[in-house]
Amino acid sequence: MITLQHYLLLSAALFSLGIFGVLTRKNAVNVLMGIELILNSANINLIAFSRYSSHGLDGQMFAVFVIVVAAAEVAVALAIVLTMYRLLKTVSLDQADTLRR
Amino acid sequence: MIMSNLQSLKFFLPELTLTIGILLVILCDISLKSLRNRLNPVLTVFTLVLAAYYTFQLQDATAASLFHGMLAIDSFAQFFKLFLLLAAVLVVLASLHSAELAPFHQGEFFALLLAVTLGMVLLANSTNLAMLYLSLELVSLTSYIMVGYLKTDRLSNEASLKYILFGAISTGSMLYGLSLIYGMTGSLNLYSIRDAFLSQGVEGVDQFTVLLILVLTMAGFGFKTAAVPFHFWCPDVYAGAPTPVTAFLSVAPKAAGFAVLLRFFFSGMSQNSGGQWAIVGGINWPIVLIGISVLTMTLGNVAALTQNNLKRMLAYSSIAHAGYILMGAVVLTGDGVKSMLIYLFVYLFMNLGAFLVVTIIYDSDKTFEIDDYNGMFKRSPFVAVAMAIFMLSLIGIPPFSGFMGKLYIFGSVIDKGLYWFAAIGALNAAVAAFYYMRVLKAMLIEDGKGITAPLQVSFFNQALLVALLLPNILLIVFWNPIDRWTAASVQLFGGV
Amino acid sequence: MSVFDVLFCVVALVTVGSAATVVLSRSLIYSAFALLFTFFGVAIVYVFLGADFLAATQVLIYVGGILILLLFGVMLTHRLYNLNVKTETFQLIPGMLIAMAVFMSLALAATQTRWKLVPQKMAEPTTEAIGKLFMGEYLLPFEIASILLLVALIGAAMLVRRRSDA
Repeated sequence: MITLQHYLLLSAALFSLGIFGVLTRKNAVNVLMGIELILNSANINLIAFSRYSSHGLDGQMFAVFVIVVAAAEVAVALAIVLTMYRLLKTVSLDQADTLRR
Repeated sequence: MIMSNLQSLKFFLPELTLTIGILLVILCDISLKSLRNRLNPVLTVFTLVLAAYYTFQLQDATAASLFHGMLAIDSFAQFFKLFLLLAAVLVVLASLHSAELAPFHQGEFFALLLAVTLGMVLLANSTNLAMLYLSLELVSLTSYIMVGYLKTDRLSNEASLKYILFGAISTGSMLYGLSLIYGMTGSLNLYSIRDAFLSQGVEGVDQFTVLLILVLTMAGFGFKTAAVPFHFWCPDVYAGAPTPVTAFLSVAPKAAGFAVLLRFFFSGMSQNSGGQWAIVGGINWPIVLIGISVLTMTLGNVAALTQNNLKRMLAYSSIAHAGYILMGAVVLTGDGVKSMLIYLFVYLFMNLGAFLVVTIIYDSDKTFEIDDYNGMFKRSPFVAVAMAIFMLSLIGIPPFSGFMGKLYIFGSVIDKGLYWFAAIGALNAAVAAFYYMRVLKAMLIEDGKGITAPLQVSFFNQALLVALLLPNILLIVFWNPIDRWTAASVQLFGGV
Repeated sequence: MSVFDVLFCVVALVTVGSAATVVLSRSLIYSAFALLFTFFGVAIVYVFLGADFLAATQVLIYVGGILILLLFGVMLTHRLYNLNVKTETFQLIPGMLIAMAVFMSLALAATQTRWKLVPQKMAEPTTEAIGKLFMGEYLLPFEIASILLLVALIGAAMLVRRRSDA
């Protein structure tokens, strides 16, 4: 018998893995993946509660908006990462000192 | 009274104005190649002023819930709308002559500024968890972009990367907490949530879950208001971002964060028994808030003592001020909320003023180091004295308006009987005096490093400085209207 | 143990296993591909919960959009040796301890709390209902989401474009 608790445990596992990824990873894209795990775990929660705890579809509506926000966040984060990549690439090693403030 | 979509539109005019403003600025930016540099700021300021005008018109509207329970119209929302619009106007004006932004095309900057203002206004009004999350993310995303605006500057880019990663983690955790609330109560509307909590009661393990929820949601709110332990992004982001953006971040999203924190806790998670509020489930939340407040104040003040970069110092100082503001939240009464509103209001003028001086000095000297501020008095007495007044106001010395802010906050805490808490606050303010005085000393007493040319300050910036100085000096004289306005603004729809 | 229970266990194991690969793997490309399996697993969990529209949205946007973006990010920056965000990250052991502590507290809350439960109904197709809600009660968030996307679009494009303007 699969109950609400099973879904919540699944999302708890995903959330913890996401937190672990966020804390231990050095690469920015890796941290982004950890963030996506966190957001997905919250989404599972919302949809599970929408099925078991409420009559309407509020949880599912909220989940759609979370997906939208996640997409926008990844887009902006990758834009920033790309900008960083460009800046570091064009900086040669002997110019490194001028950037230290 | 819960209104449907069409009925709500006429109460939505300020936000509609902002939306149309965003679209117009974008259109203008794409099309009118020759005029756009001059037209964009004018359009932005006009939009903000028009939105403020519509907000004034809605002053006497009876409190209601809009768009099927998504937003609330009440005097609390009014206060924050006006506050945020004012902050945005001042920042737009301060950014016009900024040397940092000058090499970059600024059309998007104004569109982003309008968008973040729209997000903050919605955030201060939200009564539905989905709306709360969406508007919080709208504010955050635009802030991330604005911080990274100086594309060729490595510090700005690093700052925006740290900001977005930290922010996404915090808001993701908050989202998990919000989903747990949904599970316990079956609803996303703040009022239904409170009713559900009150009717079914919270005991046993449920208390642990509610505590968990509070910790997780505080991740999001603490991030926005830069409270410990969610403040780590603050110094790097403030130092790397363009100064007008830093100035904006230090007042506006912080205020919006406090607004949503108050609305969430008072309308959604607390019960009112005889004029005294308590968090549902009997969790001793004031103790936790006291802890956060003390940590925030102390860390901010202590860390600021060792900073040489003025922007980083102001970053830590704004963390400390968030700690003072949280003191008002501990009290959990109408007076406490009122003192927070007053503190935010005076904080707006003193902090923006300090950052404007930083911008002015950077424009001519290209430096943010406090040591480079030596001897500023000889080069421009006006700027040095203005900065002195802002610093004194930030310390909280009468007769400047910063004193009134601290007076109300400490007063409301003392009224509640928490004498030792107020003593910690006063001690912190005394410690803070050291680093503010350091700037004063550099500007007024120390000898300059040989640069004797007078500081070039454009007439526009001078006028803006005066505009920011006047509230700091004169508000204490015209204090009654402020007092009455904030007292009236504590009315939360369905919350008080 | 019905077929459904077995299926759920398999899907849950795949999802958690691939999520673990995402956060533990040394290679960025392996992490990205493991993330693909995680997203699909989550979409299947949505189907188990009767959220058909959301499962389709999950696949379309997460796999078809976000994952592709992440792969672009990986491919375009892989030559950079250290895209270091934080100079001090947690070592593995403290990180694992914290993650375990988080999982324990969440699991405790998940299993012991009295969640609000309503009588179960047969799952119905949700697309029509969601569409009506978007145009009805959730109209305002819908519009604000569109502004959010517009702003993200403008911001991301502005940050990345090469043309320098004054």
